[in-house]
Amino acid sequence: MNKENFLEIRGLKKYFDAGRPALFSRQTKYVHAVDDVSFDLRRSEVIALVGESGCGKSTLSLLLMGLEEPTEGSIFFEGRDVTHLKDHERKELRRKIQMVFQDPYESLNPTQTIEEIVSEPLQVHGIGNSEAERDERVGKALEDAGLKPAEVYLHRFPHELSGGQRQRVVIAAALVLEPEILLADEPVSMLDVSIRAEIINLLAELRITRQIAVIFITHDLGSVGFFADRVAVMYLGRIVEIGTMLEVLEKTQHPYTKALLSVIPVPNPRLRRERIILQGETPNPIDLPSGCRFHPRCPVALATCKESDPPFISQSKTHSTACLLLVK
Amino acid sequence: MESSQNQWKDRWLKFWSVFKKSRIGIVGLVMLAVIILMAVFAPFIAPYDSSSTESVTIEDIYSPPNAAHWFGTDDAGQDVFSNFVFGSRVSLTVGFFAAFISIVVGGLLGLVAGFFGGRWENFLMRFTDIMLVIPDLPLMVVVIALTKPSLLNIIFVIGLLGWTTTARVVRSQTLAVKSRKFVLRARAVGAGNGHIISRHILPLVMPILVVQAVLVVSLAILNESALSFLGLGDPTTLSWGQMLNYAFGRGAMSVGAWWALVAPGLGIVWVVLGLTLLGQGLEQVLNPRLETHHLMPHKPTVEDKAGAQSPAEAESLLEVRNLSIHYINEGKPPARAVENISFTLKKGELIGLVGESGCGKTTLMLSLLRLLPSAGQIVGGRVFFNGTDLTAMNDEALNKIRWRDVSIVFQGAMNALNPVRTVGEQIAEAILKHEPSYPREKLGARVTELLDLVGIAADHKEHFPHQYSGGMRQRAMIAMALACNPQVIIADEPTTALDVMIQAQILELLDSLRKKLGLAIIFVTHDLGVVAEICDRVLVMYGGVTAEYADVDTIYNEARHPYTQELLKAFPDLTKPKKKLSSIPGYPPRLEDLPAGCRFAPRCPASVELCHNEQPPLHELGKSHFASCHLIEASK
Repeated sequence: MNKENFLEIRGLKKYFDAGRPALFSRQTKYVHAVDDVSFDLRRSEVIALVGESGCGKSTLSLLLMGLEEPTEGSIFFEGRDVTHLKDHERKELRRKIQMVFQDPYESLNPTQTIEEIVSEPLQVHGIGNSEAERDERVGKALEDAGLKPAEVYLHRFPHELSGGQRQRVVIAAALVLEPEILLADEPVSMLDVSIRAEIINLLAELRITRQIAVIFITHDLGSVGFFADRVAVMYLGRIVEIGTMLEVLEKTQHPYTKALLSVIPVPNPRLRRERIILQGETPNPIDLPSGCRFHPRCPVALATCKESDPPFISQSKTHSTACLLLVK
Repeated sequence: MESSQNQWKDRWLKFWSVFKKSRIGIVGLVMLAVIILMAVFAPFIAPYDSSSTESVTIEDIYSPPNAAHWFGTDDAGQDVFSNFVFGSRVSLTVGFFAAFISIVVGGLLGLVAGFFGGRWENFLMRFTDIMLVIPDLPLMVVVIALTKPSLLNIIFVIGLLGWTTTARVVRSQTLAVKSRKFVLRARAVGAGNGHIISRHILPLVMPILVVQAVLVVSLAILNESALSFLGLGDPTTLSWGQMLNYAFGRGAMSVGAWWALVAPGLGIVWVVLGLTLLGQGLEQVLNPRLETHHLMPHKPTVEDKAGAQSPAEAESLLEVRNLSIHYINEGKPPARAVENISFTLKKGELIGLVGESGCGKTTLMLSLLRLLPSAGQIVGGRVFFNGTDLTAMNDEALNKIRWRDVSIVFQGAMNALNPVRTVGEQIAEAILKHEPSYPREKLGARVTELLDLVGIAADHKEHFPHQYSGGMRQRAMIAMALACNPQVIIADEPTTALDVMIQAQILELLDSLRKKLGLAIIFVTHDLGVVAEICDRVLVMYGGVTAEYADVDTIYNEARHPYTQELLKAFPDLTKPKKKLSSIPGYPPRLEDLPAGCRFAPRCPASVELCHNEQPPLHELGKSHFASCHLIEASK
C-alpha cells in the first residue's frame, strides 16, 4: 500500500434498485449510479471530480461520507478499510472527513444561530473540556473561513447573511472538527461569479494553512482549473479521464472532456471558439448504452465503440483515459 | 448560560413583535385570557357559593335575570352566573389536560412515523387512519358508558381519541424537515438520531405543533361539553356541558327559562372562538408559507405624462429612459432599487444585463411590464415600446402587450410549470390566454411547431414536467414565451441552475431563435462569461445604477469602470490556469442603506475621497460607451 495515498478508492459501485420494469418481469432493473470508480488522494491534495448531472458524482460523495453503503468495492483511509464501519467507528471517521454542500440556503438550519451551527459538531463529538475552549475553536473556524471578526457573526441567523457568507459558515462548521479531507459538492454553483472566486480562494488557502485535502465536485471545469492538482472527469458513473490538471486541460484525450472544455464560457468575445455542443443529455443510468457509454453522444465515435467497453489507457504516469480511439 | 437566555428572550421578543400585529390573534388571546382569569379567580368573582342551596325559596326556581342573579337562577334556585363561573374551571381543566395528552401522543407518533419511516411509519399511519374513520363521539359515549364517568376518565378518553390529526400534521412536517439538506449535513458531521430530532426536527415542527395544540384544546372543550350534555359527565362536578344537560333535563325549555341555557352555551362559543382566532393568529406568525408576496401589476404613475417625447432613435424597439424604481414601505425610507437606468434595444439585438444578486436586475426587468410587487413604484423615467410609453398606459392596453409583444422566461423552470398538466396543454393554454380567438383546430399544430422551434420532439408534447430534464423544461419555458410571436423576450437568468453543457445548448438555442425570428432579447445574468458568448451590448449594473454600458467588445477589452474590471478579473480564465483568482472583497450595498457617494466606492480598489462623497455622473466615453466613475473625469 502506498503510504502517500491516505485515501484510496478501489472499484467502488453503487446500484440503486429501480424496480421491475413490468409486474411479472423477472429481472430487477438497477440505476448504475456509481459503476467501478477507483482513485487515490494524497495529503493536502486537491482533486476535482467533474461531470454533468447524472454522472454519479453526488452519489460518490455520499459513499465517501458513509451516508450511503456501496454495493461493491472498498474505501481505504490511512491504510485501513473503512468501507463498512460500525456506528461509533463511522462517527470517529467523520471527524477526519467533512463535507461542504452545494446549497448554502438549504444546508443551514434557519432556527439556529451561527454560533450554534458552528459549535454543533463539537457537541456531537464531545470535543473541548470547557466552554472557553469550544468558543475559541468556533471563533478560529469562523475566522479561518473568512468571517472576521467572528463576534460579529456569532449571534446572527442564516437569513441575515448573504449566500457567500452562508457558504463560509458551512465551511467553518466543517473546519471546526479539524478534518483532513474536505469534500466539497458543488460549493460555488449557487453563488454569483464574483463570490465564487472568494470561496475557491478560501479552499485553496485552507489546503496550505491546514494541510487539508479537498475533493471538489463540480459540473464546471472552468471553476477548478485554478487550484486542483488533479482532475477526474466522470460520465455515467465512471471516470473517463484522469490526470493532473495541466494534462487534462492541455493534453486532453477523451472526446467528452474536449466537449466539456469547449463549452466553458470565455470572458472575451474576441476569443470565441468553436464549441462542441453535445446534443441531448446524459442518458438515464438504468439502461446503459452498450460498449462505450459515451458513444451515442460522441462526435467522433467509431463503429467498434458500440461493441466494446474501452479499457483505461495510460498516457503518462499520472494521465489515463478510457477511449477506444487511443487503442493502437 | 446568560447568552442563551438572552437569545430566548430575543426570540420571544421577535415573536411578540410580529404576533402583536395580528389583530385576529390578539382578539383571540384577550378572549381566552378573560375566561382563564375568571376560572382562576372564580371564588372572588362568583357572587354565590356554587353548591349553596340555603335559603332557596320557591320564587328562586328559574327566576329570570335580575339584580341579585345577573344570569337568573336554575331549577334548584342556584345562581346561574356563579355556576357559569365555576363551570369554566371544569371545562378548561378537561380541555387543557385532554389536549395535553392528545398532543403528546399525536406528536410522538407523528415524529416517530415521519422520522424513522419504513415499517414503523406503515404501522403507525394505518393505525391513525383507522382511528380517523371511527366517529369520535359515539366511541367516546361507548367508552365512557362502560367506565365510570369520572373527570379523570373523561380527560383520558378525550385525550386518547383526539390525537389523530396531530399525528398526521406532525408526520408530514417531520417528513418535510427530514429531507432538508441541513439534516444531511448534521449526519455528515456525525450526529445521531437523538441529536438530529432534538436540534433540527423539533424546532421546525414546534411552531406547527403550537398551532395544532390550540385547535386541539378547543376540540377537547367541545367534546367534553357534548359528553356532559349527553349525561355522561362526572355528576359530582359542574361543567358548562353539565349545566346544559341539567337545564334540558329539568324542564328549562318548557318553562321558558332560556337564561339557564344561554350562559353555558355562550361560554363554550366564547372559548372555542377565542382559541380558533388565537390559532389563526399564531399560524400567521409561525407559518411563513402564509406570507403573501404576489407580483401585482400596479397602476401607472400619477405624474403628468403629457410631456412624453417619442424616442430619439427611430429604429429602437424598446427604449428605457432614465428609469427609477423605489420600494416604498410604510415608516421606512424608500429603497432605491433602480436609479436612472437608460438603454435601447433594437430588433434582433441581444443585450446582456449583468450584475451581482441584489443589484436591481430583476426589479428593472419586471418594471418594464409593470409586474412589480405593489411596494415597487416607478418614480421616474419612461419605457417606450415601438414609440408608446408603457409607464403611462392603462392596464388593459398593457395587457395586450404583455406576453404578446414582450414575454419573459423566468429563472427556475421547474417552479414555473404546473406539475399536473402536460407541457403541451400548458403551451396551448398560454396561446389561448393571450389570443382567445385562436382557431382550436390549429392549436395542436402550433404547439408542435413551437416545441420543434426549441428542439423538443413532438412526442414529448403529452409528457408532464417531471418527465422532462432541467434543460428540456427550460426549453419548454422558452416555447411558452414564444407562444404569441413576441418581438422582445426578457430572459431572467435562464441558464443559472443548469450544467455547462446544457447552458451551452440553451445559449445556442436563444442565438438561433434571434436569427431565425428576428427576436430582440434582454439576457439577465450574473455571469459575464455567458454574456460574452452571445450578446451584442452589455449593461453592467451595480447597486441599482449603471456602472458601464457599451458594446460587448469594449466591455471585455476596454472596460473603464473598476467594477467591470474587477468582475472580469474574478472570472476563471483557463488559458492561464495557475493564476490566483482575484475576488472583489465585500458585498453589494443594501438598497435601503446606500453609500452617499459612488455605490461601488466601499469595495473599489481605486477609490479616492471624492468617490465616497459624491455620486459620479454617467460619462460618455465615445460612441455608445458610458461609464459612471469619478476617475474617468480625472483622466480626461
